[in-house]
Amino acid sequence: MPLLQLCDSNFPSGAFSHSFGFETYISNEKINNYETFRDALCVYIQTQLTYTDGLACRLTYDFLEEKSKEDVWRLNEMLAALCLARETREGTRMIGERMWKICREIYRFDIWNDDKKKRGYMHPALVFAIFCYHLEIPKDTTVLSYLYTSVQALVQNAVRGIPLGQTDGQRLLVSVQPHLIKAVQKIHTLTEEELGAVAPGLEIAQMQHEQLSVRLFMS
Amino acid sequence: MSWSGLLRCTAMEENGRTVISDCYYEGALKLTRPIYLHPSQPTIYLIHVGGGYVDGDRYKTEIMLQERAHLIATTQSATKIYKIVKMPVQQYTSFYLDDQSVLEFFPDPVIAYEKAQFYQETTVYMKESSTFIYGDIITPGWSESGELFRYDWIRSKLKIYYEGNLMLFDHLYLEPSKGITGILQMEGYTHFGSLFVISPFITKHILQKFEWMATRFPASAHLGWSTPMMPGLIVRVLAHETHVIETIFQMIHQFIREECFQEEPIFLRKY
Repeated sequence: MPLLQLCDSNFPSGAFSHSFGFETYISNEKINNYETFRDALCVYIQTQLTYTDGLACRLTYDFLEEKSKEDVWRLNEMLAALCLARETREGTRMIGERMWKICREIYRFDIWNDDKKKRGYMHPALVFAIFCYHLEIPKDTTVLSYLYTSVQALVQNAVRGIPLGQTDGQRLLVSVQPHLIKAVQKIHTLTEEELGAVAPGLEIAQMQHEQLSVRLFMS
Repeated sequence: MSWSGLLRCTAMEENGRTVISDCYYEGALKLTRPIYLHPSQPTIYLIHVGGGYVDGDRYKTEIMLQERAHLIATTQSATKIYKIVKMPVQQYTSFYLDDQSVLEFFPDPVIAYEKAQFYQETTVYMKESSTFIYGDIITPGWSESGELFRYDWIRSKLKIYYEGNLMLFDHLYLEPSKGITGILQMEGYTHFGSLFVISPFITKHILQKFEWMATRFPASAHLGWSTPMMPGLIVRVLAHETHVIETIFQMIHQFIREECFQEEPIFLRKY
């Protein structure tokens, strides 16, 4: 039940205000229907979600298991440094901070006392892993759930932004499931050395979003 | 393990002029005598004497800038990486920028040949008052058949420690066999360039002027820019040709020299 609560689209993390570059593609019509969005989403899962978000989630869980909290904060610093597009960096920071604040109010974990170690940045993947680790949710379930919530938010945004039908949105969430499972298997084999490998085009889209004249989303 | 090439060099300021105070190299790496294209700011050319990087090569370059030193660095020719049999080619470069120093580093593009594997790690240790300007270009490589993207993989990392803290980490990984040409990745383009300017002189006002200038960039390039956590500017460019990226880099380089340092442009003539 705690996992359902954290993954619920009603959980007020603010994730639904961010497109993380997808709005640029919608605006220049490279993404304009179900198929084009699905294709881009699959690449997003194989790149950004695998090498950055998903791997960060797994590494955090590993570090907590090994009782090396310092590595969690070192990872947090790396994640902030890795995000070169300002809006996306600010977006993940805002979502991460809100998740941290809410989770701190609803559960008592010792790690919340490390508030100062965040140094003004908190990546959502870390909060998600911290939450799941302390509630003894298995690691693979944690990573898969995190990927699913990230994708769910993007699909909801695409439904509003492209727009797509609500049923199409749900159909997409079914069709990406095998890709998410594959991503979790891949993440399992990765090392810290591979963290943050960037998708060049996506990053340019995230940067261009700062100059978009009409915007539904903050990033 | 020993290095296939090792180069160490220190630049210092002496009576308003930067000089190379200390220089050491061995193996396949060499350095030209500094050339003063500007009266007080020397340009150094990093040279690879072997003509290209081969299987298992490991290179290390360390450049130190003491207080107020101003150095321009480039390479003499493209970084060519040949086919790998056993071990990837590794290149480690470190820059140490002391207070108020300025480094402008524009190496030639990376050209990876068929079946090449290349790991590049560039680390910068800089002070808040120093300036680091770096432009990097990765081409789709070269193969006998004329086909593009025949290399195995390229991994390129840039880490910038700003007053001791990791504040910028760029990690590019290109593995063509996994499909890198489409949306979110190379977007149908072949060449990728990144330009980093970290400097206290990059103010809001300069960024505004930069945006006006950006309207004059060649239309054939696909690009984006943003600002890092410290004062600075990051530009990413996708294009179909090296020279399009070089043109954009030259425009920005010239702009930064004029606006931030009130200096004339520098042309890194090579051929």
